[in-house]
Amino acid sequence: MALLAPIILDNGTGYSKIGFAGNSDPSFVFPTAIATREHVASTGTRSGPPIPAKPGNLASKRGIEDLDFYIGDEAVANAKTYGLHYPIRHGLIDNWDHMERYWEQCIFKYLRAEPEDHYFLLTEPPLNPPENREMTAEIFFETFNIQGLYIAVQAVLALAASWTSKSAQARPGERTLTGTVIDSGDGVTHVIPVAEGYVIGSAIKHIPIAGRDISQFVLNLMRERGETATIPPEDQLRVASKIKEDYSYVCQDIVKEFRKYDEEPYKYFVRYDGEHSVTKRKYSVDVGYERFLAPEIFFNPEIYSSDFLTPLPEVVDGVIQQSPIDVRRGLYKNIVLSGGSTMFDHFGQRLKRDLKRLVDQRIEASEISSKSLIRSSGVEVNVISHKKQRYAVWYGGALLASLPDFYGYCHTKAQYEEVGPSICRRYQIFGSASS
Amino acid sequence: MILLESHNVVIQNTLAEKFNKPGSIDVVFVDFDGVRFRLSTPTSKEIIVLSMNIRCWDELAKYGVTDVLQREYGSRVMPQPEADYHVSLEYAIDSIPPPGEERDALIKAASLLKRNALAAPFENAFATQKTLESSETSDLPGQLMEIHYRDEEAIYIQAANDRVTVVFSTIFKDETDRTFGKVFLQEFVDARRQNTAMQHAPQVLYSSRDPPLEIRNVAGLKRSDDVGYVTFVLFPQHFSNPERMQSTISHIQLFRDYLHYHIKCSKAYMHSRMRARVAEFLKVLNRAKMENKEVERKTVTGRTLVQR
Repeated sequence: MALLAPIILDNGTGYSKIGFAGNSDPSFVFPTAIATREHVASTGTRSGPPIPAKPGNLASKRGIEDLDFYIGDEAVANAKTYGLHYPIRHGLIDNWDHMERYWEQCIFKYLRAEPEDHYFLLTEPPLNPPENREMTAEIFFETFNIQGLYIAVQAVLALAASWTSKSAQARPGERTLTGTVIDSGDGVTHVIPVAEGYVIGSAIKHIPIAGRDISQFVLNLMRERGETATIPPEDQLRVASKIKEDYSYVCQDIVKEFRKYDEEPYKYFVRYDGEHSVTKRKYSVDVGYERFLAPEIFFNPEIYSSDFLTPLPEVVDGVIQQSPIDVRRGLYKNIVLSGGSTMFDHFGQRLKRDLKRLVDQRIEASEISSKSLIRSSGVEVNVISHKKQRYAVWYGGALLASLPDFYGYCHTKAQYEEVGPSICRRYQIFGSASS
Repeated sequence: MILLESHNVVIQNTLAEKFNKPGSIDVVFVDFDGVRFRLSTPTSKEIIVLSMNIRCWDELAKYGVTDVLQREYGSRVMPQPEADYHVSLEYAIDSIPPPGEERDALIKAASLLKRNALAAPFENAFATQKTLESSETSDLPGQLMEIHYRDEEAIYIQAANDRVTVVFSTIFKDETDRTFGKVFLQEFVDARRQNTAMQHAPQVLYSSRDPPLEIRNVAGLKRSDDVGYVTFVLFPQHFSNPERMQSTISHIQLFRDYLHYHIKCSKAYMHSRMRARVAEFLKVLNRAKMENKEVERKTVTGRTLVQR
């Protein structure tokens, strides 16, 4: 029997990316949300379908409350009559009852796949407790009877996705799973060092600045200029995030950029035209400095936040310095971007320049302190941007799962039944046997 | 969601998006029962090709699938399907009606491709039943149609002069599934008996291991404990009205997936009950913990006694 394409499920805190291996984009991207009948307030300590008071009496259950739920965009649309839940918090699965049912509908309603015919590739955040892996494996093998399962760390998949970038294409022999991943989504930004497919857990850093903050910052800037007067209040944040996505870019020098805008405002200021969703009234706003200031909060966080003040290049540098000394060169050489908030034009170039400056300063300082007796050959710093950055994790998964040896890395149902859930505590790293 | 929907969401979404904003695509995806789809723009951005690979195509072709697809899709069916696929539909962007109901209907029809293909033998059987009924000369049933839509499972359809019998053979790979399946199918049979409102529903019979009489003489039937046979008896009232006929077909062909979906749902339900119960028991256990009554004991001189 010809094997059907493996299914890639990348469940993030905000959005789930689901689809089939071999495609270049996920088939579905929707919020990781589930709308159920039981309300948040009434359930109190536990959630999930109602259970009878006494155990062992299934016959009393004739209702179908456990099937009455929506997921994804439909869940958000039905939030008024249903209770909306987000089963994943901070990347970790929080509510297994909801997650199990969420997967149920992902597979049967959206992907329309019979799980018994497929292999699955799931993703997990770095530092996911092994117990969570076991729980996930239990659900997939016992509830869904899937053929085989691979659970991959998101950062590793993001590294694999960077193999499509132009610079990596030029050197096909150097497909490496060593590098630093900067994963910036909607809620939080992570900087994760990975060596040979293993995450260096002790050196991971989180930055509380991500997509949502950038939108808020754009909105603040426009408010200060008085542009927002024409935008209906309920649309303001949406407009701000649209402006962020469509017009923003990273500049190399703020002062010069300001001067450029002031000299030729007509060339650089753009107009954003919107329409009120209900009244159909048209409005338009000028988009100016926020075009380059928005992503600037990664590099000069003091312009937005007052409690987090370390610029991104410094964080990245710190993370690499905390990693074992023998992998640092590899980490500097292969800095990979992933997630929607790294999509700004020239983001990679700017990061590379700032980081290079930090590294060179340190090298210079150590050369001076050695009284110029030791000369360094220099450290190569490379930031890799590529087209698939937005859904890099999903794409990396789809890429790896379409390789013929993917099936060899999976744990099959037979193996699971032989060993039990603990088999999923360990997975073979991709490419570890072959190269 | 109780019933599975019969349209494919990926086709629906992708076509809706691409008709609005043409662009090149190449995606592969699946549907239930090992059906593989491919949506691509092989020649230019203006022409979208939807191809389907279905395991039982040869059998369907015998039962008139080409006519059904010709009726549903007309000239959109390409004379030569893409390599590795059995049927291809072609959508040229300039032939697409403007946004509105007409376009939605077109997209909906495309997303029902698998359903329509699998509908052919059913329509065939319903037509046969009509001719048998009107002839009234013989009691002989019509030809037994076999559709091996999965590796080890098949649908058997047979028309008689007063009914159409549909038999599903199902295989449960998992021990737990078999038990669940048995309870579930028994419930199917019982529900009809208990609830008078369901008297008009088709009759359901369930037998495990032994195939029902209609298909007993079919060659190559496996006899083992994990095989079950579900028989539906459809009477003319279920398919005389064309609209009802269509919905009967849509529902019955997804029966196997429906069954497996619900087995999985009940397992998920059981699991959440187990989790809740364990959480409760843990609370009880925590309450039963001994309180630490140990008091520091000292000697007269003020030294502490240490237990060895």
